[in-house]
Amino acid sequence: MRILRFVGRRLLQLIPVLLGVVVLTFLLVRVLPGDPIRSILGPNATEADAAAARARFGLDQPLWKQFLDYLGGLFTGNFGTSIQSGSPVSGEMALRLGPTLELVVIAVAIAVVLAIWLGIWSARRADRLGDHTVRIFALFGNSIPEFWLGLVLILVGYAALGWFPAPSGRVDPDTNLTPLTGADLVDAVLTGNGPAMASAAAHLVLPVLTLVIGVLAPLLRSVRASALEVLHSEAYAAAAAHGLPERTLLRGYLRRATLVRLPSLAALVFGTAIGSTVLVEYVYSWQGFGQWALRGLLYRDYPVVQASVLIIALCYVLIFLIADVVHAVLDPRVRI
Amino acid sequence: MAPPNISRRGLLQLGGSVALLMTAGACAAGSKSDPKSGASAGPAASTLRIAVSSYLSSWDQDFVGFDLTALMLFKNVYPYMIDYGVTTAGDSQILDTANITPTFAESFEPDSEQKVWTLKLRQGVKFASGNEMKAADVKWSKDRAFAAQANVAGIYRTIGLTKAEQVVVKDDYTVEFHQEFPSALTRQIQAISLYVFDSVEAKKHATDADPWAKEWFAKNAPTGGYFNVSKATQGQEIELSANTGYPGPDGAKTPTIRISVVPAAANQRLQLQAGDIDVALGITGQDLQDLKKVDGVKVLSAASNNQVAIQMSVTNAPFDDVNVRKALAYAVPYEQIIKNVYNNDARPTKSLVPLDMPGYSETGYPFGYDLDKAKAALAASGKTAVSSELVFEANNDEQQKIAIQVQAEAAKAGITLKLTPLDPATLGERRTKKSIPLQITTGQLWVNDVEYMLATSFVKGAALNYSNYSNPEIEQIYTKSHTTVDDAARKALWTQVQSILATDVPWVIICQPNFNLPVREKVAGWVQPMDGLARLRYLSASA
Repeated sequence: MRILRFVGRRLLQLIPVLLGVVVLTFLLVRVLPGDPIRSILGPNATEADAAAARARFGLDQPLWKQFLDYLGGLFTGNFGTSIQSGSPVSGEMALRLGPTLELVVIAVAIAVVLAIWLGIWSARRADRLGDHTVRIFALFGNSIPEFWLGLVLILVGYAALGWFPAPSGRVDPDTNLTPLTGADLVDAVLTGNGPAMASAAAHLVLPVLTLVIGVLAPLLRSVRASALEVLHSEAYAAAAAHGLPERTLLRGYLRRATLVRLPSLAALVFGTAIGSTVLVEYVYSWQGFGQWALRGLLYRDYPVVQASVLIIALCYVLIFLIADVVHAVLDPRVRI
Repeated sequence: MAPPNISRRGLLQLGGSVALLMTAGACAAGSKSDPKSGASAGPAASTLRIAVSSYLSSWDQDFVGFDLTALMLFKNVYPYMIDYGVTTAGDSQILDTANITPTFAESFEPDSEQKVWTLKLRQGVKFASGNEMKAADVKWSKDRAFAAQANVAGIYRTIGLTKAEQVVVKDDYTVEFHQEFPSALTRQIQAISLYVFDSVEAKKHATDADPWAKEWFAKNAPTGGYFNVSKATQGQEIELSANTGYPGPDGAKTPTIRISVVPAAANQRLQLQAGDIDVALGITGQDLQDLKKVDGVKVLSAASNNQVAIQMSVTNAPFDDVNVRKALAYAVPYEQIIKNVYNNDARPTKSLVPLDMPGYSETGYPFGYDLDKAKAALAASGKTAVSSELVFEANNDEQQKIAIQVQAEAAKAGITLKLTPLDPATLGERRTKKSIPLQITTGQLWVNDVEYMLATSFVKGAALNYSNYSNPEIEQIYTKSHTTVDDAARKALWTQVQSILATDVPWVIICQPNFNLPVREKVAGWVQPMDGLARLRYLSASA
């Protein structure tokens, strides 16, 4: 009950936060140099044509009127019309968000599990060969650019070994997958489309692996540091001195105490990954949210930029809310 | 410290889970899309696979932005009433801009004054919906274009078409275009503008708020062209099927073309090598050179009218002084750029009128790399040193390389250049404001005619006139050219144009790079489009 109250309170706090994001994004994107209208007009367009196009997208209105129209639209789920494509932003976003969320959720989930196991394993072997190996791996993962790693994995996994499909999309179009959520693996499962399931899984392996290697390092280092702290704590030493079985020590004393800090970091990693998968999407022809948002920014497609920033902000605050709840569950000292 | 049994088990569980995911993925991959098996078997001759760099932003040609993937696809899926023929240039086949012939139309001819053009449609031509293509479709399409006040409406002004009332339906299969003045450009302008929507189908999706069914057309492919879109997987692949009902000459040679989106050039290269794609429409630079040595792959090369230039602002210092412009024109290392940036795969040019455009004259650009002359020209301006920014497109490797080489040589002549890469929106805005003193431009004209070149690039207020150049004589010649339809008379005008441009030097013209297209050995029939938009109907692949 207390948790529900906490969640309710936090959800209410979201309103001013998101409103702030809406106002700031609306203003900042218009402060940036660049005219979104000129990029959609042909070489023979006159100022009159440009004015007509501005009117078509409501950009001829005073700024306050544009903002009120935008805000009014948000309450009805209308994010506006993309200047580049002429399509409703909500429809485009729905198609783009699913693939990116699928990629990031799977990658971060795998990275969290790996970080927990490897971090604790490494801490328990501090300064031994296994520990050094894990730490070097973490440093390596932290150091290499994701796009480069992606290209190397494609070169090895697709071109040299032929184990994985060509990096040209998320699922084989011949499987005739009916899109529901945009997340192809989920859609394949929901529609019971076996070939699409296999194809989507195959297409996911390399991009997921690229992201996992990229995001694993900070999580791993955090878990290892926490585990070392716990291992050197008086509580753990007392438990060990009392001769408790190793399994009890691991599960009851080490793992839970170690994981206390992880939710916040995992939330941060998740939020960052949502906003920064653009290079991975580019390398794997993923056509996800990141590429869509980047193109919107490059061409100053105001509605697209506004929608993408709002969604990233929403992802951040929701995931941090979940992280706080998980933190409270893991750490009895936390009162919510 | 740690008992090995627990940690080992943990590691085994962990390793097992990851291995399961990888194995499942790998097995799934092997079950369907093994590139090796694809490479050995190759595609059936009935299917051609093409990689492009991006998915199209909209299916609506009237309202789309400057999206080259979309514009290329439109050429193949919209029914264009007339189009260029094909001619041979050296070893290449190219679109013949001097020969525009009816395709979906039966004829397109002017009256004796060349002011009223009559379009006659073939009978029995149908859209995918089963609706017959009629004069009402042409009228509705042109009304829509004028209402859009965008691409077609803009270009129609050059031939004296400014309002919907000038397009008149005479009967079910005849439409007249009443121009305000005769124009030698009519066929060329209509070749790129005369596409037709299925208006019966469109009206089903029109609403009071959206009378031209913009929302529907943005998401739904048009039909009735050389190809129909049989399947479109958003962001990934578009499958084109040849329109067997096409009534004119040169129908599609390949029954099915699959266009997949592969943004990274490196991946296009890998897929071409592996045989997973047949044509790569997004590979440049060193990848092209490397692919020339790969078995099973050939790189088609064709002359192109793509121009690489540096536009100098004639209204912003220091290039508002013609002697400073001349100094830069002498300081640019033309041959070095052709060698280092284009691997000698570009043609030097001696006029701002593109090579191969009717009227081209070698007297149009009397400048070559000569630092002494550059210094002398700068001295003639009364200055010993000038500085400026040199703007180019961010993420454009070729332009960046050119900028660096120009910067180095210009410095030797006393011209200091600060390199400024700009993103598309900022570049577009600054171009509109004409506030860029010096910028590298790359592009080709969609109409192979000097009148069109003047209209887009050299008359006052023209959208591509980033130099903000204007000259009363050029304006006069341009106006005169509207009504000059005789070939010899037009060429005389173009000689004057080039003479004036040689004196005023609004641009440094660097070169015309050749067009290169890497394809699998079995691909044939490529026709180089002089407007840069590939006509896929000519492509075929042997089994």
